[in-house]
Amino acid sequence: RFSAVFIFSPKQAEVEETLKRIQTHKGVIGTIVVNAEGIPIRTTLDNSTTVQYAGLLHQLTMKARSTVRDLDPQNDLTFLRIRSKKHEIMVAPDKEYLLIVIQNPSE
Amino acid sequence: MVSYSKETQTPADTQTHTQAKPGCCVCVRACVAEEEEEEEEMADPKPAEDSQEEKADEEEKQEEVLPKELTEEEKMHLLNSEEFMAFFDRGSRIVERALSERVDVCFDYSGRDLEDREGEMQAGAKMSLSRVFSDERWSKNRVVTCLDWSPQYPELLVASYNSNDDAPHEPDGVALVWNMKYKKTTPEYTFHCQSAVMSAAFARFHPNLIVGGTYSGQIVLWDNRSNKRTSVQRTPLSASAHTHPVYCVNVVGTENAHNLISISTDGKMCSWNLDMLSQPQDSLELVFKQSKAVAVTSMAFPLGDVNNFVVGSEDGSLYTACRHGSKAGISDVFDGHHGPVTGLSCHSAGGPVDFSHLFISASFDWTVKLWTTKSTRPLYLFEDSCDYVYDVMWSPTHPALFACVDGSGRLDLWNLNNDTEVPSASVVVDGSPALNRVRWAHSGREIATGDSDGQVLVYDVGEKICVPKADEWTRFVHTLVEINENRDEGDELAAQRLLA
Repeated sequence: RFSAVFIFSPKQAEVEETLKRIQTHKGVIGTIVVNAEGIPIRTTLDNSTTVQYAGLLHQLTMKARSTVRDLDPQNDLTFLRIRSKKHEIMVAPDKEYLLIVIQNPSE
Repeated sequence: MVSYSKETQTPADTQTHTQAKPGCCVCVRACVAEEEEEEEEMADPKPAEDSQEEKADEEEKQEEVLPKELTEEEKMHLLNSEEFMAFFDRGSRIVERALSERVDVCFDYSGRDLEDREGEMQAGAKMSLSRVFSDERWSKNRVVTCLDWSPQYPELLVASYNSNDDAPHEPDGVALVWNMKYKKTTPEYTFHCQSAVMSAAFARFHPNLIVGGTYSGQIVLWDNRSNKRTSVQRTPLSASAHTHPVYCVNVVGTENAHNLISISTDGKMCSWNLDMLSQPQDSLELVFKQSKAVAVTSMAFPLGDVNNFVVGSEDGSLYTACRHGSKAGISDVFDGHHGPVTGLSCHSAGGPVDFSHLFISASFDWTVKLWTTKSTRPLYLFEDSCDYVYDVMWSPTHPALFACVDGSGRLDLWNLNNDTEVPSASVVVDGSPALNRVRWAHSGREIATGDSDGQVLVYDVGEKICVPKADEWTRFVHTLVEINENRDEGDELAAQRLLA
């Protein structure tokens, strides 16, 4: 009886490597991958922080996307960057997923 | 938000109804309302995508009402899918390019944004947590009862702990020697004894000895040269020594002539020779007015004095006393506090002006009071705390600086030359445990505090706060003059009010 089957294809390994590379980049505080429903599927932060970031940024990304499309229906959101006093949050959106990276740019 | 929409509303309605969760009327209504709004906002030309968006949005709204978690298997499944690979390839590429960009477009050359930061940086520069010492086995579930820095090795700190109620088979009393120099998280030396240790000190002229005063009244001596974790010498548990908890131990004197002084809560003061603890060299009952024994909870010797000292008691009174002479015992009583005295500290920062007549006391009555041995009325009252103040200590290097800790987890630094109303620096320990003890390191640059969870925290104090400038002593003289004037004014007003 198998409890969990992890399919570790070479592509999966690449994904892991890239995620690790991003996470260890200078100043990166956290990396989160969110699915279309706003549920985090990969994260390097603790649970409560992840859920908070995922929920809020998912909503914001939806809003940003709808703004872009309202202005021009043939346009679409490709990248979202929020610069605050303390951090920079980068969101790479897609139809199905979001890649969120939080960085401290002054480091 | 109203916008012109070409799509008709009816198809959406039917779709909504079929997708609505059964038995969830509120959800359906909310979903439908949101759905219509969403539809109006999006003027998407592709109807197929549109319906998919609607589905996603509706699911999103439903998600908001009922949060769902995915199992590890589901997550792995998603992560292995083709769409994810494609998304990730694109997304990570953009993110990595963005990360590698080191240009800070928001940089302000005028330094104005640094001003905002400066408040933060200043606060950071005031006190920063340097080390936290805690041991799973020996310090967890115990309260830190005393701290002392080694006079010979400035990186060594001894902490004594009381009993662990959750581990009845472990020894009741523990003393751990921590080392600041190395990153090792385990204690340098571990000592224990059969009774909870209430006070501990490095024997000043014996670098290998550590003295502990226990709850049973026994005084124990540990030696780091021996391989044993138990004490090498113990005082007898008899009426000749102490039979009550010993909260104060101190080695006073000079290299050639020194004694270990201990006072228990029944007012008995003994002086010992460290080589022979089988009986005290001298003992004295501290009684006030020939009848009331003083329940001593804290004791302090002014700088350079081996005969006169100050004691604080459980009932809140403070007394001066002396060890030898015709008037050995309690001399004067001070107005005191409204609650037990928890800490006493005599001014010790040597400099051009001598302030050794000053001492401060902390008490359960939420206050710290500044006194001079020359007067029985307090010089000043510090009432910034909202909880029992558990300990107080003058800085060994800065004449106007002292630290106090209270039950709400606050460590305050007061610089009387700056402000006498509020502390000049303050930090709250994570988790707000009650802080039981505070001890400045001999350098005056670091400060250690012990909490009720068995943790010892060492903070680095910013230079601006703890390093005294050349004129600090003269400034403190002026500060004291002001304090005196205010006190006299206050007394006059009080007297006038009484007469009126």
